[in-house]
Amino acid sequence: MASFPGPEWADEYVKALNGNSEYKDAGKTWEGDITFVVQPDDRYSKKWYLYLDLFHGECRSYKASDNENDIKKSEFRYTGPYSNWVKLINKEIDPIQGLMTGKFKLEGPMMKIMRYTKAAKEMVNTASLVKTEFEA
Amino acid sequence: MWFFRSPQIVFGEDSLSFLNTLDAGRIVIVTDKNILGSGLIDRVKKNLPENAETFVISDILPEPDYDNMLLHLDDVKKFNPDLFIGAGGGSSMDTAKILFALYERQDIKVYDITPLVKLNLRKKSHLIAIPTTSGTGSECSWAAVVSEKNEYRKNELASPEILPDYAILDPEMVLSLPREQTINTSVDAMTHAIESYVAKWANPYSDALAEKALELISNNILNVLSNPENVDSRNNVHIGASMAGMSFSNSQIGLAHALGHSFGAVFKIAHGKTVGLFLPEVIRYNYKSSKNKYDKLNSIFPDNIRKPSLDMTVENLFKKIGQPVKMNAMSINEDYYSQNFDLLVELAENSTGIITNPEDIDREGIETIFKKVHGD
Repeated sequence: MASFPGPEWADEYVKALNGNSEYKDAGKTWEGDITFVVQPDDRYSKKWYLYLDLFHGECRSYKASDNENDIKKSEFRYTGPYSNWVKLINKEIDPIQGLMTGKFKLEGPMMKIMRYTKAAKEMVNTASLVKTEFEA
Repeated sequence: MWFFRSPQIVFGEDSLSFLNTLDAGRIVIVTDKNILGSGLIDRVKKNLPENAETFVISDILPEPDYDNMLLHLDDVKKFNPDLFIGAGGGSSMDTAKILFALYERQDIKVYDITPLVKLNLRKKSHLIAIPTTSGTGSECSWAAVVSEKNEYRKNELASPEILPDYAILDPEMVLSLPREQTINTSVDAMTHAIESYVAKWANPYSDALAEKALELISNNILNVLSNPENVDSRNNVHIGASMAGMSFSNSQIGLAHALGHSFGAVFKIAHGKTVGLFLPEVIRYNYKSSKNKYDKLNSIFPDNIRKPSLDMTVENLFKKIGQPVKMNAMSINEDYYSQNFDLLVELAENSTGIITNPEDIDREGIETIFKKVHGD
């Protein structure tokens, strides 16, 4: 069981993503990096970042940290408060509806990411495959 | 949290006369050459406020790309309109939405039209949609479909702010719609209703509209085809199609649209015909998870059309109106199909319809449906 957010969860997530054949296929032409940003809220008091360098259906490198200075600037950022990340991982929030209702924010060139809806969906599906324990 | 969004609807006979009540003096009308040639734009113009000046754009192509849509943007800016009217099928209405947005916000690019960016439109003008077909639902949607030049792919630009202020549903505008287009667009509308009803984002508002849409269309389409100038039947199908559009605009579409978009892009076949081609097989694929909702929809069809299950009912109605449900009825080039099979699957796999379909599907599942509809 990996604690979210934390380095073990990042390890497990990337392992699951690289083992997801549906993601590998959907992202086979994707080149670009993205950072997941967890914002503090009532249940979690710190910020947390997971940088992912994604290339042709594979995560080539990643770094998790609670210090933004440790993280490379990425093309995309997907940002939301901790409680919404919990709901996303538990599949209680649809990631696109989450964006459209302001529960998450996506920064980066929209036209590029619109072409990879399936890959984006598989990235979220992968998060729900990680056996996760959350802050109380 | 979720939203229900809709334009104000003006409907029924003589609804074009609503235009005359508007406080507008400089009006851009976006249409295509066939609609212009049919005299329908003259009807629109006759109903505009006295002394209103118009600038008519009539060279919108079917399934336009960005270049075609934006060809007259500079002229529009010079004309300085206070109202945009998209009058035609989905291509004309969608182009009006894009021109409206880029005229209002001259500092943005077309790619900035996303639901994630607040555009603050309507500082200078407003937007009206007048459909001349009964099916696309564009008059009630906050999306605009744009083809990519030299690619099979289409993009869906979306923003709640490009939802028309008014949709005018005047049956006079569809009385002369040719039989083939009447069939294609009604199939599109029925597919909107059925897919939106079971979509992952379905909600009580979209459900209610889908049910009524299907009732209006399934009870009237045969009469429209046998009596094309029957105003009551045309009016019912027209209203039903807009309700189906409002339904899917608030809950999204599904797998039949994903497969149909792909097939239509590769074979250059009308949108309604291709989404209908896959609909029965998609219903069968989704039946396990959506049985109760499908059974409810099946009960809505008239007795003389209804069969024991929705897929069979849809096939029965499609047979009566001449909508194919197998590729062999469409005389496709078999070599071209085989050569492009991987492309067909890939395009479907990356379509947004996949995301909101009630059942998840992988590449193998998509291949299986293509093969079944092909008759393998």
